[in-house]
Amino acid sequence: MIEARQVTLQYQDDTLALQDVNLSIKPGDLVYITGPSGSGKTSLLKLFMGIEYPTSGILTVMGQTVKKGETAGIRRLRRSIGPVFQEFKLIKGRTVMENVMTGMRFLGMRKKDIREAAAYALDRVGLGHKKTSLVENLSWGEAQRVAIARAVARKPSIILADEPTGNLDHDNAVNIMEILKSFRDSNTAVIITTHATHLIGQEADAMYIRIDNGHLTINRRA
Amino acid sequence: MKSFFRNFGYYLSETWKIIRLNLASNIVSVLGTALILFLFGLVMAGSGIGSRLVAMLNEEAEISAYFDEEVTVKEAQALVDYTEKLDGVRSARLVSEEEARDRMKEILGEEASILELFEDNPFEAYMEIRIYMDSMEAVMKRVQDLEGISYVRDNREVLDQVERLTGALRIMGLLMTLAVGFTTFIIISHMIRQGIYNNREQINTLRLLGAPNGFIGIPYVIAGLLLTIVGGALASLGISVLIVKAYSGMQGTLPFIPLPPRTELTGYINLLIISVSFLLGFFGSLFGLSSIRNDGSGR
Ligand SMILES: Nc1ncnc2c1ncn2[C@@H]1O[C@H](COP(=O)(O)OP(=O)(O)O)[C@@H](O)[C@H]1O
Ligand SMILES: [Mg+2]
Repeated sequence: MIEARQVTLQYQDDTLALQDVNLSIKPGDLVYITGPSGSGKTSLLKLFMGIEYPTSGILTVMGQTVKKGETAGIRRLRRSIGPVFQEFKLIKGRTVMENVMTGMRFLGMRKKDIREAAAYALDRVGLGHKKTSLVENLSWGEAQRVAIARAVARKPSIILADEPTGNLDHDNAVNIMEILKSFRDSNTAVIITTHATHLIGQEADAMYIRIDNGHLTINRRA
Repeated sequence: MKSFFRNFGYYLSETWKIIRLNLASNIVSVLGTALILFLFGLVMAGSGIGSRLVAMLNEEAEISAYFDEEVTVKEAQALVDYTEKLDGVRSARLVSEEEARDRMKEILGEEASILELFEDNPFEAYMEIRIYMDSMEAVMKRVQDLEGISYVRDNREVLDQVERLTGALRIMGLLMTLAVGFTTFIIISHMIRQGIYNNREQINTLRLLGAPNGFIGIPYVIAGLLLTIVGGALASLGISVLIVKAYSGMQGTLPFIPLPPRTELTGYINLLIISVSFLLGFFGSLFGLSSIRNDGSGR
């Protein structure tokens, strides 16, 4: 599903964000990515959804090679991804419901299904009562949960959640982790970055990636 | 196409948000577009009337032949009868001195009283010959050579003048069309660019979610179309009012100008303005949309 061979990422300003990344992620995998701030967690997710391209090495996601000149293919790939951005990237001036629905409007879904999926996802993250609020009026924790609802409502093949519990209290955080992990059942690969190591479960079959300064250490067990 | 209709409500509400975000400058753009299209309509109406006039004058080509002094009324009538049978002549008629004077009276209208100053009728009888335009030369030559005809006058001068005027109007129309096209195009594509710039964050997010460019761009195209068409509608309204006013005015003062039927003219101008604004709105917004592609992040 995601295959990386000797991938490095160097930004324009010469920052070497990731070095020699080799990994293979399968459908239904649960992947925890940890590491201190600035270690390269977000950069890795950016590669997975084609926001950045590998400086060297080969990266394919769901059969799509991530590299320059593949704009159309990468755009298509993103429709199969449920992204939770660290800074949420909600659309201002729209309601909570509208934000979640917008993520599904170009997936060929029927209007009724879009509405139902959005309402269901919002109920699950505990925001069923905020559907008609404008997103700019939400607290950080609420906004984060809208971002999560938008990502999961579209039933993606890959969930890329960048510090999805960063602004949540413990109970909410545990709940969100459970929701994200539940998508494994439908063969979705669930990839979560966090520096809150206490939230990381002890699933025997999970994959644990530790990043230090752009270097990955991968374990199949914690 | 199916997804276009499925998302139609969404597109319209996005369109409204795009327009509202920059309402004041969008209103100014619409008024500017309306003014430009109004001027365009005006020139097109003028050249439409001119072309029709030329066509009519061409059809109604007419020459006047004046008799030698010693020709009697009887001889004159014989000349008329002869001329009538010539090739290229539609009809020939004798206009008597009295009729000539009456005609001038009519043209002069209120100033006709100056004719009272003449003791004798200053007008002479002549032959009015209506001919087919393409045989103008030949007929003139034949009539000129007839015994008893002193000279022949044609209305080509008038025709030439009207034709020149119409030609100028047509060129102006063409230049105007180019100017209108160019200006409206710039206004609209700038408006769209502005909208895209203001919404760059949202556009970037949509791309990250995998939205196709069509999905992202359609509300902008609808916005551009809507604004130009509103401009066009305002222009049409203005032109229609003006034409109605002008027609009722002209009927009093210039009764001899053969104007096209009013509804025909307004219909033609309105159709022209609306289709021009539709095309410009569509292509202007598409052009403006091209700036979506090169704004860097989000790929
Ligand atoms: N667009 C960028 N241009 C240059 N350097 C960047 C850019 N994005 C991130 N970096 C740098 O790359 C490193 C990894 O950043 P990031 O992946 O955001 O870390 P994390 O998500 O683990 O906090 C940091 O040193 C950061 O400053
Ligand atoms: Mg980060």
